Amino acid sequence: MTSFLVQHFIVLDLTTALEVVLLGFIGGVLSGFIGSGGAFFMTPGMMNLGVPGIVAVGSNITHKFGKAMMGSRKHAELGNVDHRLGAYLIVTSFLGIRIAVWINSMLFKGGSGDHGAGGSAGSNLYISLVFAGVLSLVAVSMLRDALGSGGDEGESGPSKRIAEALARIHLPPYIRFPVGDTRISLWVLLMVGLATGYLAGTIGVGGFIGVPAMIYVFGVPTAVAAGTELYLAMFMGAFGAINYALEGYVDLRLTMLLYLGSLVGIYIGVYGTKVVKEVVIRIVTGTVILLCVASRAIAMPVYLRQLGWIEMNPWWDTYLNLASKVMLFAAGVTGTVIILWNVVRAYRQRRRIQSTLMEARAAA
Amino acid sequence: MQVICLSRGVFVGGEELAEQLASKLGYACLSREQLSESATEEGIPVGKLEMAITRQSSFSERLALEREHYLAFITSQICDRSMNEGLVYHGRTAHLLMSGISHVLRVRVVTGEERRIRAAMQRLGVDRRRARRYLEDVDDDWRRWTHSLHGVSWEDTSHYDLTLNLDQLSVENAAAGLTAIAQLPDFQVTPASQKAVLDLRLAAHSRLALARDDRTSQAAYKVRADSGVVTVSYLPHDAGRAEAVAAVVSGVAGVSQVRSTMATTNILWVQEEFEPSSDSFRDVAEIATKWNAAVELVRLASEREAIPTADEQSGGGNPAPPARALAGSASYDGGIEDDVEEPSENGGVTPTIEELARLGRSGGGRVVAGGAHGLVASIDRSVPYSLVVLGEVFGDRGHAAKIRMRRELQTFLSDHIKAPVVAVEELKQQYLFGTRDVFRAFALLVAVVILFIAVFSHQRQVLDFLLGEWWTEGNLGHVVAAGVVALVVPIVAYLYGSFSKIVLKLIKIE
Repeated sequence: MTSFLVQHFIVLDLTTALEVVLLGFIGGVLSGFIGSGGAFFMTPGMMNLGVPGIVAVGSNITHKFGKAMMGSRKHAELGNVDHRLGAYLIVTSFLGIRIAVWINSMLFKGGSGDHGAGGSAGSNLYISLVFAGVLSLVAVSMLRDALGSGGDEGESGPSKRIAEALARIHLPPYIRFPVGDTRISLWVLLMVGLATGYLAGTIGVGGFIGVPAMIYVFGVPTAVAAGTELYLAMFMGAFGAINYALEGYVDLRLTMLLYLGSLVGIYIGVYGTKVVKEVVIRIVTGTVILLCVASRAIAMPVYLRQLGWIEMNPWWDTYLNLASKVMLFAAGVTGTVIILWNVVRAYRQRRRIQSTLMEARAAA
Repeated sequence: MQVICLSRGVFVGGEELAEQLASKLGYACLSREQLSESATEEGIPVGKLEMAITRQSSFSERLALEREHYLAFITSQICDRSMNEGLVYHGRTAHLLMSGISHVLRVRVVTGEERRIRAAMQRLGVDRRRARRYLEDVDDDWRRWTHSLHGVSWEDTSHYDLTLNLDQLSVENAAAGLTAIAQLPDFQVTPASQKAVLDLRLAAHSRLALARDDRTSQAAYKVRADSGVVTVSYLPHDAGRAEAVAAVVSGVAGVSQVRSTMATTNILWVQEEFEPSSDSFRDVAEIATKWNAAVELVRLASEREAIPTADEQSGGGNPAPPARALAGSASYDGGIEDDVEEPSENGGVTPTIEELARLGRSGGGRVVAGGAHGLVASIDRSVPYSLVVLGEVFGDRGHAAKIRMRRELQTFLSDHIKAPVVAVEELKQQYLFGTRDVFRAFALLVAVVILFIAVFSHQRQVLDFLLGEWWTEGNLGHVVAAGVVALVVPIVAYLYGSFSKIVLKLIKIE
């Protein structure tokens, strides 16, 4: 089992440190590729390495803060940030984060946080359940979108039904947002902010709710949705980081190691979106997310046993943890290899075209 | 011939006004509904497209292609109809279909909310609350439609020549007023504006041909035409269709040459004089190659230049000068032109385009007059620009005035185009790897290494500090720890992020 250096902070040997860097790299590539945060991979990945769920979430939300700060500057240059919309969402997202940190801390402290039987298991199980529930929906939506758009039928995606249902509800007052060129009910706005903040604070993946909500429910153009979400993520990340740090759940070492991989990976992922068809992007990311959910599901019986809710030989813990870890890394590595293969192929194709053109020019 | 585009909402009275205006001027009258019917007959699923856009459901690649097909179809229809007779077209985004062409009068027709609600109640037989709700919903749908098709706001007044409020004004008097305005010299056909329509028409016909042919219908293209030369840009994953693209487009009547460019994005290069052997050309071409981008040239004609005629332009391939400002300025000189130095042939646009075409990076080119406003009006908002390069402009001004006006233009473009606007001399420093980057990368790397060594060689102390329990009284320890986390994390992200960016710039992955 994982040993702990100081209270709930794990011992980082070279192998574990490299695994965290690899987690960051895969998370970064997938994050650049999908256009959202890579927490769906990094949070469970750290939990698989023995990091308590609450520390994994705290360290990851801290990592999100710096990353979003770098990215939102670029989006602001492109005029993709609706600051007014961001400001409305920030207020309630802070409340959502506060609720999430409070629940997580209560569950962790309630289990005495001693990492043994019943210790961080309650918090780990809670994080895993929210993670599996939300990301299953996201992955299934993505795969249905991707497979549906292959045919002639263009109006695919379950999000449409939610958007239509919400559009039928008339909830004044409405607020107009000039950059996104849309009009949104204040109440819907507050609910989305709360949900985004809660999910960012609980599992670190607020963007999976925030971006689709802005596109499908608010009617904001995709680029503005991504830019505003990154702007929001910067504030949510800062608030989340401070809140978790106040409780002592941020492992600065993990955050720094994640940066080593993610800040390189994100550029490669973004490059990948330019050379891979959108339908392939959705299939790859949808499948990787679904496998991440499955990996979390495999680890859940361990937490249930630690809580004493099921009878199971503790001998199984090692194997279930290993299976969960192998599945997560296999999913991430396969997805990243597919993206990298396309990036390298496009890079080589570009070089070949350039040299052909140079030869033709020299011959002329 | 002259085109009058009326952009109208529902229950505004726009249809009636369009019919009266067409009758007064002896022009043909065409509505959006008629065009939609023709588009449906062409095989474009207009209804499905409208549902997808207005209901904000997910937009498949297939629908995105249908949207391009639809835009090309209606543009070609309006251009074709206006070849031999004047035309009044009324619809939702009529004003954006032919923007930047001086003989197209773009009018927005509005009326007060109360009048619209009454009309909706009467026509739909609903109560006041439902009528208001209906109008709000339809207006929202139209806003989304405009944004989706043209990337601009429906209400943005800078895209209209005139806004008519029919609250006080009767339809008859509005039609009479518009008839008088349409006869002003500012809205008459000039050789330059006629050429702009011909180029727009040829581009639309070429795009339509690509959509109709089975070999090319499954890919997205950006098409520009310039005096018979058609430039088609496509994405890297459609590189296999390059030969079919050339075959299909060369079969379109009026096409003399086809230039294909594989591009994932576009760079807009604005300058007064282009020179393919210059350093700035080398920098722009290097960035375009690195980004897989097509370079679109815009020659910003100086205010003192004479109006280019169609003949002058046909030789060099500079389409679409709006000529609105040129027509205006020409009217003040009484036909006597100042002694201005003749610019090089088309300001160097033709040889620069040819050189870019040889590199496979040409996105076409055009001449624009009318300063910053003319430039912004001529830009196609549906084109995804990643960068706007601003070169030497206002060359006929004094040094101080030139610097000030160029800075103002840069700010104006930044406010109106969703892409970074960079001066040509700053390109190297910002986007290309240079000696300065080597020193910067080294300094950043040293800083990152020091930070990592500091943290990882004192892990226990760092973790004890983060727990905040070193301060025994109150919460000060936790507060200080949180403050340090909030301070250190952005510093690490900035230092390492900037270092990674420079390294990726070196290996040309950005």
